[in-house]
Amino acid sequence: MAHILYIEDEKEIGQWVTEDLTGRGHEVVWLTSGNELETYINHIDLAILDIMLPGLDGFSIGKRIKKANQETPIVMLSARSAVEDKIEGLSFADDYVTKPFHPDELAARVDALLRRFQKKEDTIEIGHLQIDTKSLVITNKHTAEEILLTGKQYQLFQYFIRHLNQILTKEQLYEGVWGERFMEGDKTLMVHIRYLREKIEANPAKPTIIETIRGIGYRVKK
Amino acid sequence: MKRFLKSLLAKYILIILIAIFLIQAAYFIIIFVFFNLVDDSDSPEDGENTFTEIEEKWHQEANAVVSEDDVNQLFEEWREVYSNASMFWVNGNGILTVQSNLQENLPVEWDATYTADFLKRNYNNDPFTVVAFAGENEEDGFIVFQLEREAMKPQGQRLFDQYSWAIVMLTIGVVFLFIFISLWFFRGIRKRLVHLQEAMEIRDTDGLPILIEEKKQDEIGDLEKSFNQMVQELRASREREQEEEQLRKELIANLSHDLRTPLTKINAQAYTLQKMNLPKEAKHSLKLATTSIEEVDKLIENLMSYTLLMASKYKKELKEIDMMRFLRQYLATWYPVFEKERFEVDIDIEPFEQNMWKVDSLWFSRILDNLLQNVLRHAADGEYIAVRTESTGHHDAIVIIDKGKGMQTSTDQNGAGIGLSIVDMMVKGMDLDWDMNSTEEGTTIKIIRVKRADD
Repeated sequence: MAHILYIEDEKEIGQWVTEDLTGRGHEVVWLTSGNELETYINHIDLAILDIMLPGLDGFSIGKRIKKANQETPIVMLSARSAVEDKIEGLSFADDYVTKPFHPDELAARVDALLRRFQKKEDTIEIGHLQIDTKSLVITNKHTAEEILLTGKQYQLFQYFIRHLNQILTKEQLYEGVWGERFMEGDKTLMVHIRYLREKIEANPAKPTIIETIRGIGYRVKK
Repeated sequence: MKRFLKSLLAKYILIILIAIFLIQAAYFIIIFVFFNLVDDSDSPEDGENTFTEIEEKWHQEANAVVSEDDVNQLFEEWREVYSNASMFWVNGNGILTVQSNLQENLPVEWDATYTADFLKRNYNNDPFTVVAFAGENEEDGFIVFQLEREAMKPQGQRLFDQYSWAIVMLTIGVVFLFIFISLWFFRGIRKRLVHLQEAMEIRDTDGLPILIEEKKQDEIGDLEKSFNQMVQELRASREREQEEEQLRKELIANLSHDLRTPLTKINAQAYTLQKMNLPKEAKHSLKLATTSIEEVDKLIENLMSYTLLMASKYKKELKEIDMMRFLRQYLATWYPVFEKERFEVDIDIEPFEQNMWKVDSLWFSRILDNLLQNVLRHAADGEYIAVRTESTGHHDAIVIIDKGKGMQTSTDQNGAGIGLSIVDMMVKGMDLDWDMNSTEEGTTIKIIRVKRADD
């Protein structure tokens, strides 16, 4: 459960999204303008902002939120789809969803951001693994034993968990974990993924936790 | 009049006038310096006597001589007037008796032969020589007066002879001075013109020329002024154009926003309805309605892009991007969509020889979006999509293959047309090419980059 601030001036849409997100277990504060922003700005886990609002527009509100707390993820939710708007939005926001949208998509993006910013205090289960997303303690449910990872394996797995359900390219993974630019043909990542699989997969020859997406990269799906 | 005085024409006229004046002035100076004694150009040193007069006077005064004292006195008197003159007396016995300021060696004793030789030598020659019998008796010998003819020329003439080189030099000097001033004048003009030309070629960050400094109020100054005026007009027009562009963009953005808001509302209602316990037919209708909403949304998006592209107002920033990296990252976002629709996704991307493509990544995403959207909408029956790379000696290409029923036979192509028009415009806008081959077995689309010499 997360505290979500949602600013939307369209009553129908506002109500719908609020109900949907509440239904998914989040606590949503829905405002129709940025007037009362200061009351909530320090007590939220995530913000969903429309752009065209009476008074302060969504861009300004978003920038204020980021200024107050850099660690608050922001999703822009707007009917404006021009490239310029997206570029401006993504210059500070973490995601940009255009209307009309499917509530599942919005919920998935909200979840992904909460995970990425470690705002979720929960344990997730992937296959035979139980993972505490904050401490990243990995337990094998079958044996009830904790799986210990080495430094790089730990970082790699953490990167996957933060980007759960997302397909990560070789470049993203390598650069995210090693912090260096990936060179085509470098086998380091493959080797580390193999070690990681040997530790966490029930059957490393047929991996189910870390999925290989041929031609693109890897994915850990919940 | 003030303007005229500042003009180049006025300056040029001034130079010409100075030149003419200098030449005239030079003549006047020459005349003044050398010929100011023009009135007495015939006068010898004493200011009144000519050669003839000297001769007459010498004869006359020589006639009056009686004794040696007289001769001495005569010489003394004449020496006061003609300081350079040489005079001597040869007496009746042929002896050189009195002499004054002799220029040549003369014998003491004069015989008839030498006398004749002397007379022959000096008759009508330089120095001017007058021979007169002393006294009334021829026995008293003769007295001679000799004067360099030079001394008898007018002073101006003498100066002219002496300083003629200076006159030539002065004339040459004046000519050179005129040439120098003219060159200096034209060099100034040339320098300013070259500077102006260079300034005109400088471009600001917006591609427009910059304003130049207006230095003087002459013809070139006018040119600078006109140029600045033109630049300002260009800027104003560019600003107007940008404003219009902004307005157009705003209009389109607002229009699409206003269209999408009710779409979102319909979507919300449909979603709420879908959650209810509805009969099967109703659910099916609702699904169709939702699909239509998505179609309309895509159409709005395409229409917006199309309008901007047609007006060349779609922002484009070509940058070198690593195509392999870009493709993988891009496909990572589309993979789940196809996965959800139960497509078989076959991705086989091999690095090209030249992976750096100069494209606008947003444009390229848009092209692929439209192509993949088409596959999703119109080739869903095939449940297959492949993205491959292809390299030949001639080109590199990204190939998208589906197993749908093909473009020609597809019954519902709503929006595919405009979507492909956008693909066409964008591909060509980035100096790439594309090729589509559609049969009933499927469609193959290639985005082609022809290999270049500098790859």
